[in-house]
Amino acid sequence: MPTPFKRHLLNCCCLGLLLASSLVSAATLTIGRSADSTTFDPINTTQNADNWIFSNIFDPLIALDRSGTELVPGLAESWTISEDGKTYTLTMRDAKFSDGTPVTAEDAAFSLMRIRNDDKSLWADSYKIIESADAEDDHTLVITLSAPSVPFLSQLALPNASVIPKDYFQEVGEEAFSQAPVGSGAFMLEEWNRGESVILRKNPHYWDRDRIELDGVNWLTLPDSNTRMLKIQAGEIDAAINVPFSRISSLEADPNLTVHLDASTREDHLLINHSHPPLDDVKVRQALDYAIDKQSIIDTVTFGYGTVANAYIPMGALYHNADNLSRGYDPEKAKALLEEAGVDNLTLDYVVNAGDEVDEQIAVLLQQQLSAVGIRANLTKVDPSQSWGMLVDGDYDISVMYWTNDILDPDQKTTFVLGNDANMNYMTRYDNPEVTQLVADARLATDPDVREEMYTRLQEMAKQDVNWIDLYYSPYRNVSTKAVSNFYQNPMGRFFLEDVSLSE
Amino acid sequence: MTALTSTQISMGQRVTAPLRRLSRDLSQRTTLKIGLAIVLGWVLVALLAPWISPYDPVYQDLTTRLAPMSWAHPMGTDNFGRDILSRVIYSARVDLQICLLGVIFPFIIGTVLGTFSGYIGGWCDAIVMRLIDIVLAFPFLVLMLAIITILGPGLSSFFIAMALVGWVSYARLVRARVLVLKQSDFVLAARSLGYSHSRIICKHLLPNVLTDAVVFSMSDVVLVLLNGAAISYLGLGVQPPVAEWGVMVTEGQGFITTAWWLTAFPGLAIVLLAVGFSFIADGLSENRGGTQ
Repeated sequence: MPTPFKRHLLNCCCLGLLLASSLVSAATLTIGRSADSTTFDPINTTQNADNWIFSNIFDPLIALDRSGTELVPGLAESWTISEDGKTYTLTMRDAKFSDGTPVTAEDAAFSLMRIRNDDKSLWADSYKIIESADAEDDHTLVITLSAPSVPFLSQLALPNASVIPKDYFQEVGEEAFSQAPVGSGAFMLEEWNRGESVILRKNPHYWDRDRIELDGVNWLTLPDSNTRMLKIQAGEIDAAINVPFSRISSLEADPNLTVHLDASTREDHLLINHSHPPLDDVKVRQALDYAIDKQSIIDTVTFGYGTVANAYIPMGALYHNADNLSRGYDPEKAKALLEEAGVDNLTLDYVVNAGDEVDEQIAVLLQQQLSAVGIRANLTKVDPSQSWGMLVDGDYDISVMYWTNDILDPDQKTTFVLGNDANMNYMTRYDNPEVTQLVADARLATDPDVREEMYTRLQEMAKQDVNWIDLYYSPYRNVSTKAVSNFYQNPMGRFFLEDVSLSE
Repeated sequence: MTALTSTQISMGQRVTAPLRRLSRDLSQRTTLKIGLAIVLGWVLVALLAPWISPYDPVYQDLTTRLAPMSWAHPMGTDNFGRDILSRVIYSARVDLQICLLGVIFPFIIGTVLGTFSGYIGGWCDAIVMRLIDIVLAFPFLVLMLAIITILGPGLSSFFIAMALVGWVSYARLVRARVLVLKQSDFVLAARSLGYSHSRIICKHLLPNVLTDAVVFSMSDVVLVLLNGAAISYLGLGVQPPVAEWGVMVTEGQGFITTAWWLTAFPGLAIVLLAVGFSFIADGLSENRGGTQ
């Protein structure tokens, strides 16, 4: 007689258990960020907003550890480098893409040749050194370089050079892949609502799946900083990235939140257009350096959460020269140098990114400081989409920009900033053949001590010539609720979401 | 001949009617009085700015950053330690200039084109109306932004863009009014008397349509003020370190939860001036229905 009732009861229990288990396992981390992704085709972007998600859904051959200072195995379990430094043999681990197909050396070779050759690749220059990449068998990848290159291993750890599935890519085509990618990373893309959110689910085929505690990650696009901060304070989201400097102390005081100031490789600097006289005169550039009070920028703009920059290689990065010259604030010396150079009534066009709070604040400060030594700065606020073009065209005298390292090795930034290649030394038109030569030599030197010495020398020479004016280094500023543990961003910008856990 | 003299008398009345109406309004309409008082108050503040503002509006005192209200800084200081009261006062100069120049060019262009279009009709009307259609085909702000982007950022570009885009409302309003007035007795009488077109337009039509345009301009000026703020917000208007209310609101935006005085006071100033103009517009239009 009681059977139907019992069965009913049993059903109820089962349902209850199911519900309970689904509640427990539905650990989804919601993160608010300021910009949406632009694409999921790894080679076709240089945006941080894109790269930071690539490192969640794709795997590179070689990875960076949590500290961001050491190369560790990624999809390649181990590697050997030939005597002449030109042949790299990588052994691939047993891993699967999120669609269940195995990751092979063929996929890796395809991905590398794609970033090297494809018209859409924005990173092609950095990979031109690859002569060939071949799959010897499913697990062995042989890369041959045209010349030995010490930074090459670091270059393989770039999220943009991640391994993508050749068959799937060729089946769906470039356009479809850029919107619905398949990778071998810890998470996979479930949904992309442009301008709103990127929804990631745990990848059940991830090679290190036991490490992942979360079931999913929702990246919400919340461009307005105030909104983002109010939402985390209200507990509507679990974490928010890019906390405005002005809000750090008030968020730190909130008992429900943890502010993460993780070391970054960001350096803000003042670009100088060397092709516009009298800025071609080193004395004038040095005068500018003396005229700028970097500490006041740190106090006013970063609310003390920054450090005065003394070299183009940022603090904490490989080969940073802590003893590099730092020109202190000395308006009298600036005036004397200007007089020596025979310059008076100098007027400079200062291009400012409109809508960028930090940029605009620095502009207001610098304008006042420069006027104290008799330099007039005409601020032109332009839309960021337009300002980049103006810098490239040389349509500016000074402008503040920043750089975050993408790879461990200093070669990448050094080449961009001092190597005098296609981008005119990061739009500055700085040209010192001696420096250019040293950049090329440093890339080839194999002895770490010799390299360190060369990069130290490069930092000194750049400072002497004032290629640009180093302003300040600043940390990543993220915030999470107390329920989130292990939220961390390494200096290269990678979020280690596979280690994050969420408690009730 | 008696008929003619009476027409002349009545036409004479029409010329002075708007002025008389204004003086009557002034004595009767409280809203108009309040509105004028507010706007004149701001004009005084703007004129006396160097004498009444306690500090230099661009002077940065980095030791007193984000200071709340005190006797030394009645409206507090911003993130560069600049005195907000002084900046609000000096902003009045820029913002009143925006209001005046942002309205006067569209007003003149629109009124002239609208009058000709309505009075002459035919091909002239067709051309003006098509021009209006073209301008109206684009969203207002998009067209403004496009023009300013071509001319380069700055206030003068803003005024040119305003003139190129803003005249259409005036032109349409004035044209509609002229079309009606053209058929009215006093205009027909003037024409039958053989008065020249220019005399009819200047002496008979314009005085009558101007009131409408002025009333409209008083509500338009509020929009211009907000547009100026919006354009500066986008970085295309006033360039730093010049103080302007819209810019101040933008700059203070990041501090809205920690230092509200950065945005509140310039915001209030915008509201106050806008309310002043709105009152004037209301006061002027309140009796529109009563008399012809």
